[in-house]
Amino acid sequence: MKKLTKPIEPIIGKSLDRVESIIHTHPTVNFLFGALFGAFDGLLRGAKETTQTQPFIRNNYDVKRFMGAVLVALVIGWVLPALYFFGWQCVVSKLLVSFIIGVFVVDVLWAIIAREDHISEGGFVSCLLIPAILPPQSPLWLVGLGAALAILFRNVLGGVGNNLVNPALFSRLFLTICFPSLLVTGYQTPFVGMPDLHSFRYGLDAVTHATPLTAFKTNGEVASYFSLLVGTSGGSLGETCRLALILSGLWLIKIRVVNWRIPVSYLGSVLVFSVFLSLIMGKAVAPPLFQILSGGLILGAFYMATDPITATYNQAAKWIYGAGCGFITVLIRDFTTLPEGVMYSILLMNLLAIPIQSLMVKIKYRT
Amino acid sequence: MLKEKENIGFKGGFNLSDTYPLRFCNIIERISSDGIPEVFEFRVPAQKIQHVIVNLCPTEPWALPNWVILEHKTSAFLNKLKEIKTRYLPEAGFYIVINKKEDEPVSAVKDYACNAEWMKVFAVDAKYPQDDPVMLSKVVLDIEMDFGQDTMTQGVLILDAQTVTAIYENCMLGNKVDSRFIALSGTGLKENEIINVQLGTSLEKILRNRIKESGTYRVFVNGPLHGREITDLSQKMDWSINNIVVLEELGKKVMFPMFKSDELVLTTNMLGELRRCVYCNFCDDICPVDLEPALYYHSYKRGEKHKARLYNLEKCIECGLCSFICPSKLELLQIIKECKALDKQK
Repeated sequence: MKKLTKPIEPIIGKSLDRVESIIHTHPTVNFLFGALFGAFDGLLRGAKETTQTQPFIRNNYDVKRFMGAVLVALVIGWVLPALYFFGWQCVVSKLLVSFIIGVFVVDVLWAIIAREDHISEGGFVSCLLIPAILPPQSPLWLVGLGAALAILFRNVLGGVGNNLVNPALFSRLFLTICFPSLLVTGYQTPFVGMPDLHSFRYGLDAVTHATPLTAFKTNGEVASYFSLLVGTSGGSLGETCRLALILSGLWLIKIRVVNWRIPVSYLGSVLVFSVFLSLIMGKAVAPPLFQILSGGLILGAFYMATDPITATYNQAAKWIYGAGCGFITVLIRDFTTLPEGVMYSILLMNLLAIPIQSLMVKIKYRT
Repeated sequence: MLKEKENIGFKGGFNLSDTYPLRFCNIIERISSDGIPEVFEFRVPAQKIQHVIVNLCPTEPWALPNWVILEHKTSAFLNKLKEIKTRYLPEAGFYIVINKKEDEPVSAVKDYACNAEWMKVFAVDAKYPQDDPVMLSKVVLDIEMDFGQDTMTQGVLILDAQTVTAIYENCMLGNKVDSRFIALSGTGLKENEIINVQLGTSLEKILRNRIKESGTYRVFVNGPLHGREITDLSQKMDWSINNIVVLEELGKKVMFPMFKSDELVLTTNMLGELRRCVYCNFCDDICPVDLEPALYYHSYKRGEKHKARLYNLEKCIECGLCSFICPSKLELLQIIKECKALDKQK
C-alpha cells in the first residue's frame, strides 16, 4: 500500500497545501468551505501539531480511528448481510441518501452557520445507523429526513461529545411519532437461496411480512431461532443478521472501542428478567432466547447503548446502565401494546445515565 | 525468597517496549569532559533506612538496559550489594525487583536467593510506570507514599543498578566515580547506543555527530513520558540523567498516516487532531493508580478546578499515560497539574 501511494504523495500534498493557503487567505472561502476542506484534509493527512507539554510522545490512536473501527464493524455487521438479503438497490440508495443529506448537507451547513472549524467523524456513524433501524421498504425521503434530524439534533446540543441521547435513535423516535404507519409496515421478507441478478438487485420485492415480535404479539407465533440468528426472518434493514452483528461487535470489544460491560449487562439482564417472567407467567410472555434474538436488541446492545458519549463514564455505573436498558426492554415488550422496546429503553437510559453517573461517582469517592 | 506476581498492585499501566521496540548497539563509547569532571559521592542518609529497594526492572524501552551494568554477572552484582548491606545498612531489609521476562537475571537471582535470607526478590511485569517510587513502595512494601514525597521520610531507599555499583566502587573500593552510562536513543539519532560519559560533559558534546543532519529534532532527558525537554544544550551532565531521547519533531502534515504508523511513532507529532472528550474510558483503563482522569477534564472545562480535588487527585503519580493514550488528544496531565497547583495555593 505504501509503495502504491508513494508516487502520488507529493502531488496531492502540494495541491492540498495550495488549497489550504488559498482558503486561509480568503475569509469568504474559508467561511464557506473551511470546515469541508478540513474534514477532507484530515482523512488524507495527519496532524501538524506537535506536543508542547508532558508527555512528549502520544499514542497512535485518534478519534478518527475510533469512529473508523465502528464504521468497519457496521459495514460487516449489517451492510454486507443486507446487500444479500434485501438487494443492493435498496441498501445502496438508502446509504447514499443518508450520507449525502446527513453529512454533506446538514453537517456542512451547520459548520458554516455555527462557524465550527471541523466536521465531526461521528456523523458518519449516525448516518450509517439511520437506514439500519428503518424498515427495508421505507421511502428514501424518510431516510433522508431521519439522517437530517439526527445530525441536526446532535449539533444543536453541541456536537459530538455533548449529545444527551443517541442521535440516530432520537431521530427514529421522531419519525415514529410523525409517521407511525410508515414504521410499522414495509418489513420486506429477506431473500433466501442462491442469488441471481434480480434478487441481487431487489431481494424478494414487494413481499412483506410482520416482524417476529409483532407476530408474537398478535398470534403468539415464535419464529425459529436459527432464522433469527442468520437473518432470514423479517425486521429493520440492519437488525436481521444477528450472527454478523455479534461477530463484529465482539471484534469491537476486542479492540476496546466498545466497552464489554454494556452488551454483557444489557443482554444478561434481558435474559435474567425474561427467564424470571416466563417462570411466573408462562406462555403469556415471550421465551427468553426469542427475546434476545429478536428485534433490534443485538444491534442496540452492541452499537447503540454502547455509544460512549451517551452511556455513563464510570465503569461500575455501566453495569447499572446496561441492566436498566434490559429491564425496560423486557417491560415494554411484555407488558405494553408495543412489540419492540429497545429504542425507548436506550433513550430513557441515556437520559438516566447522568444521574446514575453522578451517583456512582459520589459512592466511589465518598463526596 | 522469590515472589512472583502478575500485574501486581494495579490493573492499568502500559507495556511500552511492545510499542516502541528499541535496540542498542553493543559497543560502548567513552566520552570525556572538557573541564574537571564532577565526582559521585554517596553519603549514608541521616534518616534511619528500614527498606532498600533495588530496581533492576526499567520499564521504559529508552532507559538504560540492565545488561550494561550487570554484564550478565548478576551474582557478582548481588555479592557487591551484600557487602554494601553489611557495611552500611546492616538492619535494612533488601528487596530486588526484576523483570520476569528477562531469563538470565531471573534464573541467576533465583539461584542466589535460595541461600540468601537477607533479600527478597520480586519478579514483575515490566509495565510502565511500575518503577515509579510510589508504585514500587506500594507493590513491594505495601507502604502508601504520596507523589513527590521523599521516600526517605518513610525509611525507604530506592536504588538502581548503576547507583549500587557506583556506591560499591566509591565507598568499598575507594575509587573515584566520575562517569556514568547513558542510553541514547530516538528517531532523531543515527543510531541507538550506550555511552559512558564523564559527569559535567555538556549535552552538546554528547550529541555532536550523533544527530541526523536532516529535519528538526527535540531533546528529552529521562524519557519523553515523564522527563523534561532540554532546549539549552550547553547544560551539563549530572548523575540524575539516565537516558537521553532525541525525537524527530515532525511538525508537518504527513500523507496517508494510516499506512505509515512505523514512521510516525516516536516523534513529537500529536498523531491526531484535538477533539472533545468522547468518554471512551481509555484513560481510566490505563491509569496505574485507578483514577478517572476524564472527571478532572470535565471539572476543569466547567471552570470548577476545585471540584477535581474530590476525585482522589492527590493520588496521581503524573506518569502521563492518560495524555499519552487519549484519542481526543486532550492535555490531561497538564489539567491535573493545574488542578493540583490550585490545591497547593490554598
